[in-house]
Amino acid sequence: MRRAAALLALALVAAPLAGCGSSSSRAERVTLADLNIRYPPATTGSPAPAPLCGTASLRPPAPMPTPGAMPVGSSMWQIQKRGYLNVGIAQDTEPLAFVSPVSGQPEGFEIDLARQIAAAIFGNKPGDVHFHALTSAQRDKAAQTADDLVIDAVTITCKRRKEEDFSNVYFDAKQQVLVPAGSQIHSVADLAGHHICVTGGSTSLYTLEHVARRAHPYLVSQRSDCLVALQEGLVDGITSDSAILFGLAKQDKYAKIISPILADEPYGIAIRKKYSDLVRFVNGVFDEMRRNGAWRHLYSIWFSSSSGPPRPRYSG
Amino acid sequence: VSPAGSDYTVEGLQPVATLPRTGARVRMPSVLGWGRDRATTTPGKLALISILVIAGAVAFGVIATVAVVTRGHAARAARSQTEPLLRDAVTLYTSLADANAQNTVTFHHGGLEPAGRRLQYVNDLNRASDSLATLARKVGAAAGAPAAVRTVTQGMPVYAGYIEDARANNRQQFPVGAAYLRAASSLLTRTILPAAGRLYTIEAVRLGGDYGTGTATGPLAVLVVVAVLALGLLVWAQVFLARVTRRVFNVPMLLATLVLAGTSIWAVAGLLGERSALTRAQRDGSDPVQVVSATSALVSRALTDASLIAVNHGTDDVDPKDLIRMIHVLAPPAGLFVQLKSLAGGTVTTSAADQLQSEFATFRSDPSKATPAETLHANLQTEIDAAHRRFVSAAADATSSVSGLSIAVPVLIAIAAALALLGLRQRLGEYR
Repeated sequence: MRRAAALLALALVAAPLAGCGSSSSRAERVTLADLNIRYPPATTGSPAPAPLCGTASLRPPAPMPTPGAMPVGSSMWQIQKRGYLNVGIAQDTEPLAFVSPVSGQPEGFEIDLARQIAAAIFGNKPGDVHFHALTSAQRDKAAQTADDLVIDAVTITCKRRKEEDFSNVYFDAKQQVLVPAGSQIHSVADLAGHHICVTGGSTSLYTLEHVARRAHPYLVSQRSDCLVALQEGLVDGITSDSAILFGLAKQDKYAKIISPILADEPYGIAIRKKYSDLVRFVNGVFDEMRRNGAWRHLYSIWFSSSSGPPRPRYSG
Repeated sequence: VSPAGSDYTVEGLQPVATLPRTGARVRMPSVLGWGRDRATTTPGKLALISILVIAGAVAFGVIATVAVVTRGHAARAARSQTEPLLRDAVTLYTSLADANAQNTVTFHHGGLEPAGRRLQYVNDLNRASDSLATLARKVGAAAGAPAAVRTVTQGMPVYAGYIEDARANNRQQFPVGAAYLRAASSLLTRTILPAAGRLYTIEAVRLGGDYGTGTATGPLAVLVVVAVLALGLLVWAQVFLARVTRRVFNVPMLLATLVLAGTSIWAVAGLLGERSALTRAQRDGSDPVQVVSATSALVSRALTDASLIAVNHGTDDVDPKDLIRMIHVLAPPAGLFVQLKSLAGGTVTTSAADQLQSEFATFRSDPSKATPAETLHANLQTEIDAAHRRFVSAAADATSSVSGLSIAVPVLIAIAAALALLGLRQRLGEYR
């Protein structure tokens, strides 16, 4: 009887205590979970098959349309109606296309090409090009679905020719290797056993894996990341196209491009298959630039080169 | 028939007829037999009661002292060790996140970096270094802690180096500057901040453990049970004495009962007070510190994401994903702002919660306009400091509730036991 009473008294005392003991509060749990959210993983992209199948493109229209008066119903007319040209570019590739650290605006040889084409469509109206920055791995999808033109060091390969149309070659690049001063790498054979930086989703990666099987590729998503990797001593060299390596070497006085050539990299402007009239139009703009010296002028500005533009090749 | 009176015999003078029974006792000498024998005589019973009272007092004394000492220790540890370390871990995380936001926003806006933003970055780095130094000294060998400290210690100079590379290249107008910024940010978000997050987790779990020990109901319930049992024993002993001696009161035992009851009430009240003060320290102090600082850190992370998206001109597929995640984590219906709002008016000022929310709404409508809001961070720091002051005051209440008890409880219990024994001996002496 007495024990029962004592137990009852205990139960009364203990009951209000039981519910409110909390060792881990809601705030604590929420904070712990949120501050430990992992960053999404980075993606680089698989190699782009490099074999080439010629570079011949479509012949320009016999009389080129007058700027600002595109033929009704043509792809250029659609663009003119829209009011701007969509162009996919690189944002970190001096001297082809890069966002200037000073102005914050895109600059470079490829940017100037885009502006020339836009001028031929719209006449001389400012602000008529919309630039979209792309990584190497993003270029093909952009060319096939989003942008009117992708001017981003796209090599004209067999695989790409099946999926996209290409303008005439606007730059005859060669895949080469950039090394720091004093490097022991002088030939393709020397690459064996070395860590070589290369951009994911590029033909350079494909070629490196085929011509230098014993080199260790170091994959990055943006071309300028390779210069960071080289300057930090993470890699022994960078392989990419001559135009790109030229731009990287300009930013590092201790970097040099060695002479061996791993592959030809002819660049063309990638355009959707159904826009063949746009391909012809772009080739017409190129022809005009060859004639009036604009092309030679751009080459001298961006590549300090006096050589002329690549010769056009037509198939139809 | 009163069995207590009639059973009274003196050993050795028992009738011969009972000898076989005592013979059995001789054959099996045991504690049980000894106890049974004692229980048959009144002095024996009094001696047994004395032993029980001592045992009860010792049990109560030990349990009460252990409870009081453990709780006091947990409250003191929370106040002077774990909460300050948790604040250091929080400062490390938020300073690094803000440092990165300052840098990415500078690059995003382009041109020459504003002196104020550079200063803010250097201050962030200094605060992070101070917190890291304290953590490195005090975090101890908890699982993963030394490795996390090492990761942050080794990572911070590399991060700072990348930032300086980025600035130097930017000053020469080399586009590779942006690549160095990406490298710095990637190192911070993938390696350094996760390690800082682990340190934060270790400290938060440790503080949670102190709160758990300091507010657990188990020891309190046991203490109440033991106190009731000990008091019951004393009362029962006095009822027994009153019956055998026909005296209603035994003054020393009555005093012992009062002392025991007083001690019990003091100890239980002290523990309840400590418990409620510690609960308050968590609810009004360290919880708001955690929510506000987590919000601040994640706003910095969202800002960094937005700036990097701009710096990369849309080429990266990582930062947009992270930005979406951050917006989800921060924004209603389930985000940290909801937590912050629920604290608003109580432990977080409504204006700070509102400002944070409107700042975030502006940012969300146009992430490209992201600027690190120095005033916002200053306001959050004010909130954190205020919450910390509330923690310190409540934690001080918690420790003072149980201070003195760890010495007073054993002394008072000993006094009560001595008084009870004195009372029992007086009665026992009457049989000699």
